[in-house]
Amino acid sequence: MLGELITSVARSVRGASSRFRRRSIEAPSWERALFYLAIGVVLFVSLFPFYYMLVTSLVDETWLYRTPPQAIPSLSALTLENYDALFGSETAPFVRYFLNSLLIATVSSALGLAFSIFGAYSFARLEYPGRTLFARGVLVNYMFAGILLVIPLFQIIVALDLVNRIGLVVTHFIFVIPLGLYLLGNYFRSVPREIEEAGLMDGYSRLEVIVRITLPMSKPAIVATYMYAFLLSWNEYLYASVLLRDQSQYTLPIGIEQLQYAYQNVWGDVMAASVVTTIPVLLIFLYLQKYLVEGLNFGSMD
Amino acid sequence: MSISIFDREYTIEQKEALLGYALILPSVLLVAASLVYPVAYNVYLSFTEIPLDATQSPEWVGLANYEALLTDPEFHQAAVNTVVFTFFSDVGATALGLGVALLFRNTFRGDGVMRGLVLLPYIAPLIAVAFVWRWLLDGNWGLAAYVLRDVLSVYPGGEDIRRNIETVILFDTWRYFPFAFLLILARVRSIPNELYEAAKIDGAGRIARFKDITLPELKFVIATVFLLRWIWNFNVFSDVWLFVGNDVPILGTFVYVKGFETFPPNQGFAAAVANLMVVALLVFVIVYARFVLEW
Repeated sequence: MLGELITSVARSVRGASSRFRRRSIEAPSWERALFYLAIGVVLFVSLFPFYYMLVTSLVDETWLYRTPPQAIPSLSALTLENYDALFGSETAPFVRYFLNSLLIATVSSALGLAFSIFGAYSFARLEYPGRTLFARGVLVNYMFAGILLVIPLFQIIVALDLVNRIGLVVTHFIFVIPLGLYLLGNYFRSVPREIEEAGLMDGYSRLEVIVRITLPMSKPAIVATYMYAFLLSWNEYLYASVLLRDQSQYTLPIGIEQLQYAYQNVWGDVMAASVVTTIPVLLIFLYLQKYLVEGLNFGSMD
Repeated sequence: MSISIFDREYTIEQKEALLGYALILPSVLLVAASLVYPVAYNVYLSFTEIPLDATQSPEWVGLANYEALLTDPEFHQAAVNTVVFTFFSDVGATALGLGVALLFRNTFRGDGVMRGLVLLPYIAPLIAVAFVWRWLLDGNWGLAAYVLRDVLSVYPGGEDIRRNIETVILFDTWRYFPFAFLLILARVRSIPNELYEAAKIDGAGRIARFKDITLPELKFVIATVFLLRWIWNFNVFSDVWLFVGNDVPILGTFVYVKGFETFPPNQGFAAAVANLMVVALLVFVIVYARFVLEW
């Protein structure tokens, strides 16, 4: 994967530089300077908080809590003690939060995907009355963010006696379905009909065509959808905060929030926890780059 | 499967349709159970008082929750804040996204990597970005607070700038401009260069080219981005809650506070607020789709 990334970057740089040369003939140099200045400002504003998150997680308290604050740490202040505290601490079982988040996101996105694969195929390929209605219904979901439904869903979950992580898995997995229907539906439509028809000619039933032809051909899209679903669950805060009562069940967002409110000035620990929470997201994001636009545009669940 | 039992009685088209229903049905049922039913149930709950004890059923109180709402100054404050927040953070994110997309119109050295980096605020977990901004703006030790207050004198000492609605708007703009950027960029890059070259030859200046080529070409995507961001900003909860708590009350946090953070919780009342939000949003979307998007 890394190799792929490098060759694609190299290719785009090569392509860009030839275009750039052409461009540079027309554009006066002050204009180019202004252009790079603007790009620089945009990058600085976007990235500085992440830089400072990392720095804060890697320095000791005396450097952190002093006036005036500084942007660049002295080498002597660098330490891993925040990470040690995070992974060794008994008051805030961070490793447990991490595993809880991992478990809930893995299970709920797998369940969501299992349902949405077949649903998406159905309205992408099969013809029946009401199909467009279902497809539009997916978009109506868009308007109903988590907060609008939190009271009735909470009441329903209380009535089912599921105020725990099972309830949270169920909520996340149902919230993932519209995303899965939308992304996979778009993808299945791009699978050439002729290939499926050839399968039908060879005596496969429609279900066999789906399982033996369409799904294997759609593997990248399925992986990408799974990862988006995973991220939705990994980042979700609202439902986790109302459904998880027992500290041993907390997910990362709830655990980090607790850490920050329970103690004064633990920014080193909180930022270390934030870094650890962000890393899986970045790894997934690197993998997902090519599917970027569609998935991100569908949005989040709260 | 039940379909195969009836093999002989159905044509291929009918079988396909049956299979179609069979495959979509589980998803439709689940989504209905999590969307249609709760929306209806929420209407009922808003006419009740929900007891703390889950074994008791909600008590019918008629319009009492709505009457209480209309005279509640906290609700008025939250409603005003929500409209202000939604409008300005939407305009901010869309305008900034447009600006950055125009910067990326021509490819340049490393633009793929930079595009990825610009997306980070939007990709990163909310909890991480909300807390890093809290830390940067911390009144005692925050770096951004120090620079803004003591170096640039943007605001006087003793004030906590994080608790201003303007700051919440800026935070949201920072987090969501990459969304607008992504959508608009795709459209920006599809505008043919010939249009600009022809205009240049005809003597059109920079401003004229922007006004007469760029904006008309982007009108639809900008209007769409504005609508999508409006829907999310209006319904926002977690972003504002994690960044500023209840210090800048908006409708989303008002629902949460009334339903879960006050004792005793008043979930019937919170349900009424959520219902009014649904109605207000629906009206906005319909009016917007008709008059701006001209559907």
